[in-house]
Amino acid sequence: MTVIFVENLNKKFGPNHVLKGVDCHIREREVVCVIGPSGSGKSTFLRCMNGLESITSGSIVINKHRLDDSKTNINLVRQEAGMVFQHFNLFPHLKVIDNVMLAPLKVAKVNKDEARAKAEMLLAKVGLAEKMEAFPGSLSGGQMQRVAIARALAMDPKIMLFDEPTSALDPEIVGEVLTVMKDLANEGMTMVVVTHEMGFAREVADRVLFMDQGLIVEEGSPDEIFSSPRNARTQGFLSKVL
Amino acid sequence: MFRAFDWQDLIPLAKGAWLTIQLCAMSGILGIIFGLILGIARTSPSRIARWISTIYISCVRGIPILVIIFFIFFGIPLLFPGLELDKFASAVIALTCFAAAYVAEIVRGSIEAVPRGQSEAADALGLNYWAKLRYVVMPQARKIMVPPGVGFIIGLVKDSSLVTVTGLVELTHAGNIVTNLTGDPIMTFLTVAAMYFVICYSISLLGRLYEKRTGIQVDPLKLPEPASV
Repeated sequence: MTVIFVENLNKKFGPNHVLKGVDCHIREREVVCVIGPSGSGKSTFLRCMNGLESITSGSIVINKHRLDDSKTNINLVRQEAGMVFQHFNLFPHLKVIDNVMLAPLKVAKVNKDEARAKAEMLLAKVGLAEKMEAFPGSLSGGQMQRVAIARALAMDPKIMLFDEPTSALDPEIVGEVLTVMKDLANEGMTMVVVTHEMGFAREVADRVLFMDQGLIVEEGSPDEIFSSPRNARTQGFLSKVL
Repeated sequence: MFRAFDWQDLIPLAKGAWLTIQLCAMSGILGIIFGLILGIARTSPSRIARWISTIYISCVRGIPILVIIFFIFFGIPLLFPGLELDKFASAVIALTCFAAAYVAEIVRGSIEAVPRGQSEAADALGLNYWAKLRYVVMPQARKIMVPPGVGFIIGLVKDSSLVTVTGLVELTHAGNIVTNLTGDPIMTFLTVAAMYFVICYSISLLGRLYEKRTGIQVDPLKLPEPASV
């Protein structure tokens, strides 16, 4: 079943035409990695999918919610599509456990015990059970990103969007975040991952999209993209990063 | 004809100081409440709210405080003939109008100083505007607005001396009266100055205490301490 439909998506920032007609369908339980050079529009594409950027033209449908329809309650869509940011964006004034509990308490309005039990379970799952009472400022980057993943999972999203989740991390701690993401993929989460981690894309993705200059230039299985790219721009990009 | 400045003269000055404290406490609290509302409106997604607060803030900031005091004191009884305002009430209104505009700018600046990623993370979790403001943005903005806010309230205490023109016997006016009685402006106004200083310095101590008590947790810029071995 297709859960994300993106059709002829255009996004302009003033005169700057960032997305020039992106088409993309993503099925349930699929893991899609989006790769491409800086400024190719991959982050903007991802941010459009939960309404962090408005759409200039075209349409996006997430789980039957039309994002280009002003009557759609964007907050409902966002509860179904969790987002993980490059710079974690944890709430520094709240303890780790309260970061994870905030949305269940204030958006889903579940009771406190239930929210807490859920948050403890999620933090254990990302390997941070012992950090529950810590403030984000005392954690390492890798730990912060794992908390951010737990926070996004707390709303039981059907889709997870990752915006360069390991780009701000030291190389030696990238692995701990990728492991959590791999587990998530193995559990059948639908995932869209903008990444520079080619190893991860190759190993975990069901499909890889290569974006350049606001368009999806090439897509295919990791094997097709990494071993035998057909497009000259894909070949050029991969020859530089691999 | 004149007598020397003695301890008895401290009584009217102390009364004046007490009135200044009451005046500043009331207009300070009201100014903070209205300033918060205006400052939040200034950053709100509603265009009308932004417009109204922007117009108000620009107008008040473009008018000398003395003109605001005169306008409220002489203008309100003419505009609303039935309304009887005593000097104290009109001074509170004038200072509140003035304070609200400046507090609003401090609030706006503090809200805008909270990194945009915080707001985006709250959006991405599905928090609505008010929940985002209450649980994510304001707790962080509060810490940022305390130092300039304390500075402004101290300024307000000093500016409150201008309401002396309405005849309200606050600290400065009391100083004037005592000077006329004793003919000793040096001792009198040194005392007045000392009293203003004590009020202002107490406020800045309170502000520092507040920062210390809340500062441990609420510091978005604070880097993690290196782990000690």
